[in-house]
Amino acid sequence: MPWSSQGGSGGSGGNGGRKGGPWGQGPWGPSGGGGGGKEPPDLDEILRRGQDRMRQVMRGGGGNGSGGGGFSGGVPKPFLFLIAMLLLAGVAFYGFFFRVNPDEQGIVMRFGKYNRWEGPGLHWRLPYPIEEVRLPQVTQQRTIEVGAGRSIVGGQDSGLMLTGDGSVVDVRFVVFWRIKLDKDNSTPDGDTGVKQYLFNIAQPETTVREVAESAMREVVGQSNLQPLLTGGRQQTQESVQKVMQKTLDTYGAGIKIDQIQLKEVDPPEEVISSFRAVAAAAQEKETLIKQAQTYADQVVPRAHGDADRIVAAAEGYRDQTVAEATGQAARFLKVYDEYKKAPDVTRERLYLEMQEKVLSGADKIIVDQKGNGQGIVPFLPLEQLQKRDTEPQPDQSSTSSTDGAR
Amino acid sequence: MRSFFAFILAVLGLGALALYSSAFIVHQNEQALVLRFGEPLPAITTPGLKWKVPFIDSVEKFDKRILDLDTTEQEVTAADQQRLIVDAYARYRIVNLLKFYQNVRYEERVREVVGPLIESEIRRVLGSATLQEVVKDKRESLMKQIADQVNKEGRDYGLEVVDVRIKRADLPKENLVKVYDRMRADRVREATELRAEGEAESNRVRANADKDVTIIKATATQKSDEIRGDGEAQRSRIFAEAFGQDPDFFRFYRSMQAYRTALKPDDTRMLLSPNSQFFRYFEDPSGKAPAAPSPGPAPQQ
Repeated sequence: MPWSSQGGSGGSGGNGGRKGGPWGQGPWGPSGGGGGGKEPPDLDEILRRGQDRMRQVMRGGGGNGSGGGGFSGGVPKPFLFLIAMLLLAGVAFYGFFFRVNPDEQGIVMRFGKYNRWEGPGLHWRLPYPIEEVRLPQVTQQRTIEVGAGRSIVGGQDSGLMLTGDGSVVDVRFVVFWRIKLDKDNSTPDGDTGVKQYLFNIAQPETTVREVAESAMREVVGQSNLQPLLTGGRQQTQESVQKVMQKTLDTYGAGIKIDQIQLKEVDPPEEVISSFRAVAAAAQEKETLIKQAQTYADQVVPRAHGDADRIVAAAEGYRDQTVAEATGQAARFLKVYDEYKKAPDVTRERLYLEMQEKVLSGADKIIVDQKGNGQGIVPFLPLEQLQKRDTEPQPDQSSTSSTDGAR
Repeated sequence: MRSFFAFILAVLGLGALALYSSAFIVHQNEQALVLRFGEPLPAITTPGLKWKVPFIDSVEKFDKRILDLDTTEQEVTAADQQRLIVDAYARYRIVNLLKFYQNVRYEERVREVVGPLIESEIRRVLGSATLQEVVKDKRESLMKQIADQVNKEGRDYGLEVVDVRIKRADLPKENLVKVYDRMRADRVREATELRAEGEAESNRVRANADKDVTIIKATATQKSDEIRGDGEAQRSRIFAEAFGQDPDFFRFYRSMQAYRTALKPDDTRMLLSPNSQFFRYFEDPSGKAPAAPSPGPAPQQ
């Protein structure tokens, strides 16, 4: 029989009719009596039987199998076959290949034993029982926060820690860590980071957290309170990182501590107000000093101004004095020049001018002492006299004149 | 033909069964103990495909990784009678499978069995150190001491204790109150000190400023006096030069000036003698005889 006829309706229809039912016999049944059993089954025969079997299977429960099924079975056959092949291929694909995402590394174990690692991409493997693949995310940075339950004494996640000088400080910090990669991120030799991470420690998260708590308390315990609160932040972070890394390395944990970040380092809540009081006192100190400096800035320039004024006044006085003296001297010399020309007359004139000037304004009492030796005594006290200005004076002999020039 | 295939199938099935029951996989992070009728065979510590006798050998697998053991918080009294709340953790791995199997058997029981050991060791070691040593000075070496001792004891359980670390060594609540009081007192002292420093500094600055002011003023006064003195000196010199030319005339001239300025019209009352020089012509137009020789008036003020 030609190959083409195998798929035709005739052959299969005939077959369907000849058998009692699709499931009446086992799949091997026709080999016994189908062809009369005389000649050995040729290739065509075997193929045909296989097709039969296939068709029978495809018909499912065989509900319409016994009728003129030739027509109904012809169309889906290659289609279903294709699906089956695809399925098989799919299974084979998943059995033999695996994909590694950019943030992952594929760790292949053969019979449970570490065999090799693969970078991102599609990779070949043997199916399950022989090889297994683990896909840890290796590039991701992970974080753990410690001290979130701050200030709760003895709490599970307390951030309260004893410092070296016997004080207590409340610390909250975050640990940034990742799986340790190889130096150039490619050499898979020996106990590399990923391998250690996967196979050396049981609970990496817990381990990092506990190591972090221990390390932070160790570092805080060796420091005093003040540097922790103020300057020593950077140093604390670095020390904790160092201690953690050392500890994790002794475990062979395959973990790298990227960074420790101190979120908050505060005195405990119970005493924080007194710390604020200190800050306020520091402010107060600054204010006092500023005020004093303001005072100084005000007073000293003013003093300089005063000093300049004093000196200026003195200079003024000096110049004035000199000028006056010069003037007076000049005046004297001028008069003297004239005096030299006619000394007697000038002297007399000056004298008379003076008398004139002096006597013109003053009260004048003229007493003639010629008569007796008593002089002016009888007229004393002069004070009285001066007071009773306008009254007529008892006069002995001479004239008394009251002065009206006032 | 059919029976042949059936036979093949049966053989294959049996083969698979035999394979399944005689081979087992030890993963990279595992180790296994094979028991032959309960009798332990040498432990398998390397990963890979391993063999056993089917139905006769049974396999017990154990973790090979470093495992975690967290102790319970406990109160410890340090050597200086200070009380401490201590929370520690241990890291161990199972190294002797048989001993582990015999003494502990399940990982879950490690905490139950070994935990108290660690805790008592912590109490013992920390009890011999002072608080200061636990917190600051000897923390590292004390932890090492605990770990070494626990490791020694853990050998009996088939364990290797890699590390024991003190997670927390904190004061109990009641002691914290005292610490807080002390911290507050410290801060009060610090605040007082700061204020005092501020006042001192302020006073210093003010005093300095005042001092500067005084010095500046004094210097100015000094300079002023010098200048004034200079002026007066010049004045004297000028006068001396001018008046020195004729001292006699000067005396006269200056007297005239002085009389004029000294004898103010308002406050002067003159008691005059008609015999004075001024009145020379008053009685006698020839002006011959002024009786008294004293010419000047006798002013009274």
